[in-house]
Amino acid sequence: MTYHWDFSAVWFNFPELLEGLLGTLKVTAASLALGLPLGLAVALLRLQRWRLPAAIAIGFIAVFRTTPPLVQLFWIFYALPIVADIKLDPFGAAVIALSLQSAAFFAEVFRGGIVSVERGLWEAGRAIGMRYPALLRRIILPIAIKRMMPAFLERLIELMKTTSLVSAIAYADLLYSAMVLSARTFRPLEIFTTVALMYFVVLFGISLATRAVEARLARSG
Amino acid sequence: MYRWDFAPVLRDWDLLLRGLAGTLQLAVTSLVVSALLGLVLGAMRSSRRHWLDWPATALIELFRNTPVLVQLMWFYFALPILLGGKLTAFAAATLALTCNTSAFMAEIFRGGIQSIDRGQWDAGRAIGMSYAILMRRIILPQAIRRMLPAFTNRAIELTKSTSLASTIAFADLLYEGKLMTSISYRPLETYTVVAAIYFLLLGAGTIGVRLLERRMARAA
Repeated sequence: MTYHWDFSAVWFNFPELLEGLLGTLKVTAASLALGLPLGLAVALLRLQRWRLPAAIAIGFIAVFRTTPPLVQLFWIFYALPIVADIKLDPFGAAVIALSLQSAAFFAEVFRGGIVSVERGLWEAGRAIGMRYPALLRRIILPIAIKRMMPAFLERLIELMKTTSLVSAIAYADLLYSAMVLSARTFRPLEIFTTVALMYFVVLFGISLATRAVEARLARSG
Repeated sequence: MYRWDFAPVLRDWDLLLRGLAGTLQLAVTSLVVSALLGLVLGAMRSSRRHWLDWPATALIELFRNTPVLVQLMWFYFALPILLGGKLTAFAAATLALTCNTSAFMAEIFRGGIQSIDRGQWDAGRAIGMSYAILMRRIILPQAIRRMLPAFTNRAIELTKSTSLASTIAFADLLYEGKLMTSISYRPLETYTVVAAIYFLLLGAGTIGVRLLERRMARAA
């Protein structure tokens, strides 16, 4: 039996898929915007010499790195509203879960970058009387961030892939719109294939950019 | 103030235990198959023959640059139409997780194989060893040792990904948890316990990786 491919269901409903893609990009952008500063904060706590802040940071990173993202999402969507006595819509729960999760990974990227900066630069900064925040902002972070770029972009790819999980709590991302559309048109093969390709185009684009950045960094040393 | 009550979760603990068994079954099956498939893909990817290299590269890029959940949905809802039959949730989940993990494993194998000094290849060829024997007796034993931490990390990622199979109603730990909340109306306690079980399982794995890395750093 040969299957007759028919992409008309995709063609006529393409705006719906584009809207889904927009939803995916929105969750990614919001989680990135919150996850990055939070990740930096966690990394700085992790690098403190006081035991307690470092222990809190280690615990945070461990919990979010060693539990499945889907479990985190369910916990925040179904359980957090009960403990915190708040209401959460799918978008809110998705952004909280994904920014906490990516913060845990970003923290390790930041930490790696900061630790890679030579001790001499810290000492030089201190010697000319720079305080910790100024030293961090003017000397350490600019160097660290440049070195972190490939790891950072790789994490962005992982984050965007993880956003597809929000379809499980009925947030209208690209995958969710594919599920809705395939239930309505009975064309899962064409729709899921198209959607997979849409993800691929965006993610492979970022992946190529990552490789270009890596090559440039390798040249400039 | 919310009153925690773990009694409903503890009463049906066998449900969670069954779910954990499902999770482990899925993880182990996918891991074993993807290690073999990853080795084949990695070897193809390292080949200088384009007809071997290019298809492997395309597959690897495809599976690394799309979300696992999308792959899972594709295998569960779309592939059966092409095949003209039906796939069980376990079969679809195993296929999706295996293909996804193989793509990552292939890059680990390639990295491991490339890390072996060229001189060893030359030495093996010089005494007349064929590619297969050279690979099995000389290259792989060394490469696999170096790959072990990356390999174990992938196994942990894979185990985390098995939770996605709950979305196509495969009875894994998360799915049983979902089921339990619909009986007991205790999502807070249930999901907390489910998260804790994953944390213990994967935390043990993470500590294992770290010990392994430390041992290898000493040995190297």
